[in-house]
Amino acid sequence: MDFLVMEMLVATGVGAMAGAGVYLVLRARTYSVILGLALLGYAANTFLFASGRLSVGLAPVISDDALAYPDPLPQALVLTAIVIGFAMIAFAVVLMLRAHADLGTDHVDGPGGAGR
Amino acid sequence: MTLLLIVLLPLVGALLPAWFIRWGRNQSALAAGVVTGTAFALLLSLSSSVFAGEVPRADWTWMSSIGLSLAFMADGLGYLFAFLILGIGLLVVLYARYYLSEKDPMGRFYAYLLLFMGAMLGVVLADNLIVLLVFWELTSLTSFLLIGYWKHLPEGRQGARMALVVTGGGGLAMLAGFILLGNIAGTYQLSEILQMGEVIQAHDLYAPMLVLVLIGAFTKSAQFPFHFWLPHAMAAPTPVSAYLHSATMVKAGVFLLARLFPALSGTELWFFLVTGAGAATLLFAAYVALTKHDLKGLLAYSTVSHLGMITVLFGIGTAAAAVVGIFHIMNHAAFKASLFMNAGIVDHETGTRDIRRLSGLWAAMPITGVLAIIAAAAMAGVPLFNGFLSKEMFFEQAWALEYQFVEGVPWLLPAIVTLAALFSVAYSIRLVWSVFFGPQAEDLPKPPHDPPFGMLLPVGILAALCIVVGIVPVLVAGPMLAVAATATIGIAPPEYSLTLWHGFNIPLLMTALAFVGGIVAYWKRWAIIGLHEGPLPFPEAKRIFDGTIDRLAAFSHGTTAALENGSLQRYLALLVGAAVVAMGWPFLTGSWSAGPGPGTPLDGMSLVVWAILVGAAVATAALHRRRILALVVVSVVGLMLALAFVHLSAPDLALTQLSVEVVTVVLLLLALHLLPKEGPSEDSIGRKARDVGLAVAAGCAVTAMAWVILTNPVDTISGFHLAESYPGGGGTNVVNVILVDFRGFDTFGEIIVLAIAGLGIYAMIDALGVPDRWKIGSPDDEVRYPLLLTVITRLLLPLALLVSMYLFLRGHNQPGGGFIAGLVTAVALILQYVASGIGWTTDRFVRDYHGAIALGVLAAGATGLGAWLFGYPFLTGWFDYFELPIIGEFELASAVLFDIGVYLTVVAGVLLMLVNMGKIRNASAAAPDAADGEG
Amino acid sequence: MLTFALTFGFTAMGLAMLLNIVRLVKGPDTVDRVTALDTLYINTIAVLMLVGIRIGSDIFFEAALLIAMMGFVGTVALAKHIRRGSIIE
Repeated sequence: MDFLVMEMLVATGVGAMAGAGVYLVLRARTYSVILGLALLGYAANTFLFASGRLSVGLAPVISDDALAYPDPLPQALVLTAIVIGFAMIAFAVVLMLRAHADLGTDHVDGPGGAGR
Repeated sequence: MTLLLIVLLPLVGALLPAWFIRWGRNQSALAAGVVTGTAFALLLSLSSSVFAGEVPRADWTWMSSIGLSLAFMADGLGYLFAFLILGIGLLVVLYARYYLSEKDPMGRFYAYLLLFMGAMLGVVLADNLIVLLVFWELTSLTSFLLIGYWKHLPEGRQGARMALVVTGGGGLAMLAGFILLGNIAGTYQLSEILQMGEVIQAHDLYAPMLVLVLIGAFTKSAQFPFHFWLPHAMAAPTPVSAYLHSATMVKAGVFLLARLFPALSGTELWFFLVTGAGAATLLFAAYVALTKHDLKGLLAYSTVSHLGMITVLFGIGTAAAAVVGIFHIMNHAAFKASLFMNAGIVDHETGTRDIRRLSGLWAAMPITGVLAIIAAAAMAGVPLFNGFLSKEMFFEQAWALEYQFVEGVPWLLPAIVTLAALFSVAYSIRLVWSVFFGPQAEDLPKPPHDPPFGMLLPVGILAALCIVVGIVPVLVAGPMLAVAATATIGIAPPEYSLTLWHGFNIPLLMTALAFVGGIVAYWKRWAIIGLHEGPLPFPEAKRIFDGTIDRLAAFSHGTTAALENGSLQRYLALLVGAAVVAMGWPFLTGSWSAGPGPGTPLDGMSLVVWAILVGAAVATAALHRRRILALVVVSVVGLMLALAFVHLSAPDLALTQLSVEVVTVVLLLLALHLLPKEGPSEDSIGRKARDVGLAVAAGCAVTAMAWVILTNPVDTISGFHLAESYPGGGGTNVVNVILVDFRGFDTFGEIIVLAIAGLGIYAMIDALGVPDRWKIGSPDDEVRYPLLLTVITRLLLPLALLVSMYLFLRGHNQPGGGFIAGLVTAVALILQYVASGIGWTTDRFVRDYHGAIALGVLAAGATGLGAWLFGYPFLTGWFDYFELPIIGEFELASAVLFDIGVYLTVVAGVLLMLVNMGKIRNASAAAPDAADGEG
Repeated sequence: MLTFALTFGFTAMGLAMLLNIVRLVKGPDTVDRVTALDTLYINTIAVLMLVGIRIGSDIFFEAALLIAMMGFVGTVALAKHIRRGSIIE
């Protein structure tokens, strides 16, 4: 099997973003967790998008001279997911500021976690 | 329909007494009485058909795929029990009106009572195992409320809890048994299961199923070794005891034995389990009853003993024995309810239930005494009372036993039975003689006298029944017994004779033995009590139960503490680890594997983009403590992702990703302003190694899964969307048409989520007090709004808005649309906030983002509702083409209106979030120009 | 000819982007990094143009337009953050 194809780039790219995201959400400080959430969001969106398979140089726009179309459904789902993902991150950011203000620390790893 | 009403009436009617109590106690009791009476009348209206041998049914299919239907039937057995539940229920309602004191919340009492009544009716009338089980558990719950009615008494609360744990736990075992039974029979419909006795008994799973079902029945009917909860349930008010422990709650267990009799009985296992448990209970509880000094305690153990007797009868497994079992259920209900109420009267009028203190009440309470003698005589099995008949028949069955417990000892069961009857006679005598005769007690808390008529009436009715059934059984109880027995056995019952005199035979001898021995035992009772309280070691069930519960609680507490140490990251690590294992398993077992794949060719540029993306993702993780740098790196990831979307034929996604990227950067910069710029170095090496390991494992698992998906062929439903986009949705950009038309409902939900997130953020910030210790640093640059920046951005604004409009208008046909245009507008306005400040921008543009959000959601919703005006479902799209002079053909589509709603919500939502975050500052250093800004 | 020019263009832009990343990683201070990011944005515009020329389609030009705009806004926000801390005030 040929591994030097676009599919492998996408798969490893998703994996790298997911792995980095996992590492970051496992940190003890809120800011790192937020970054991790953002990366996990990228990974999830790209993964969903990839479930429609890859195509290069096309567009999901109906036209008479288009030979083929990419799968538009995952694209539509991911489009809203990107926006909702932003809303979620914004919510988490404000939650983290609120926690910082009320608790006096941005540490979220509990009494048994690191840094305590 | 009548059947459903009978069950629902008490359940729904439970509200009435609770409501009517505001007008007085009589009104509340009357409401409860009317509800019960109406249900009783409805039941009686079924009498003619039940006695004619028909079975009224009601059936509503609920979830047919799993065999669930709300099915009820009133066969003879169900009818008999419903009759007892409602008939005795009516008497208890009357009795309780006089029993409860002024201080007791009567409305609540009747509400609980009616709820319990409805649950019991559901159990006995159900025609579906699952329905039966649901009502069965409901009886456990409602009886908990009734037993714990006197909340101020610790015994009441403990007794209620114990009853709930034991009967509820038994119900869980029964649920498992019922599911097994349903699987064996292939149906949950009771009436069908009852026809399949042979199939069920031949099945491999018969034994475990039987044990589980019997645990349910035995816990409910307080059979040894689950009997201990019942005496503790005596802390309940006496009307509750009279109701639960004569005709209803505890009878549910023996009802179940009767109900499933055709399906489960007749095997050796059934005999040993059921008769064994019953015989042990019968003898043991009869003996303990004699040693109790509390009137209700004595009655409680006598109830357990009589339930044991009924259990023995069903365990024998012959049709004739089952008939006797049914007969004794009727008789026991009558005399035991009467005796409980009698005990309640004595307690109520004298202030004590201690047999050792009570004596010679006859002079003061003659009517009560007469009624007590009648009921106790029935309980002891004196001739001419109903208890005598069923007891004689019981002796006959025990003598004619088919199986033997111990080979070669055929007299074992008859001996146990006679001994138990002996104790029964003894405690019945004690109940009457020690309380009503002998020297008059001097030191009673209250001077005794007969109670009001309303309290005596229910007792009198039941006592009269005991005599009438005892003298003319065929006339009074015959027809009901016949239909109930037929329904229980499933066929016409064998010959039985309800007569007083059967001639000189073995059962008569056993009776005589029991009476002589019982009188002796009563005479020598103090010796027996002394033996019981003294040298005989007697395990205290309550202590064992409490100890077990405590150990269980300590165990779960310890387990929880061990798993949960308060570290969120630790839970997350466990979750991720579990997810990785779950994802990796199918690969290791080979059920997921890579397909041939289309193999899209590579080019150099893609490799560069890929390398930057992967490198930036890893760098974000590595550099996360240098926060601004990490932010810059993460935005590189976003940018590369946008490039990838462009290359992989997703222009809409690229545009969205780009805009969101910038908004996210602004958001995180706003947050960074309020946070330390550097994260502390605090993770141990081991911790880092663990997390790197988890991250690598998760990354590999995700990569593998993506690879498998990408290389396997796809079966997509998008063909429909591609084909219908232009003719059906009026747009050539399929992604946008899907968003605003095909899946418009989803999009509508999503903008509502966005709106809620925006408002939630606003609410959280609104109450956010920034402590001064944050020391939001003094800036390097004293200039708030650099002139050059201000001028350039003001020039840029109209251009940016133009781009936004352009993207919006063409969105239906080319990449763009409401989401993207909204984000672009939001970014354009944010630039003004950054360059010119909140005050300047707010003065010139939108002040009220809340209103804009609402307007956006409403516009989208109204577009959807508009379809209703034309008779189409919610959010049906509409479009048409028009010809205008000069401009030419153009399109009008309802989707555009919908997209405007999306646009408005996105703009207002994003700005509401970001601008409000910009307003956070130290309370002591409030900025002069932002104070009046409206978010 | 066009093929050659495109190959050359892609190679040059790829190299440029990698160099941006080098600057972004090396720094030495935050201003250097922000500048590197801004340049990266600009280079991606060029890449998009090249892609458009290669497949003969103008469908990605809006993306280029947006990158230009978003890159500018991002850079402004970062710059203001570095200078004053608070970016919206």
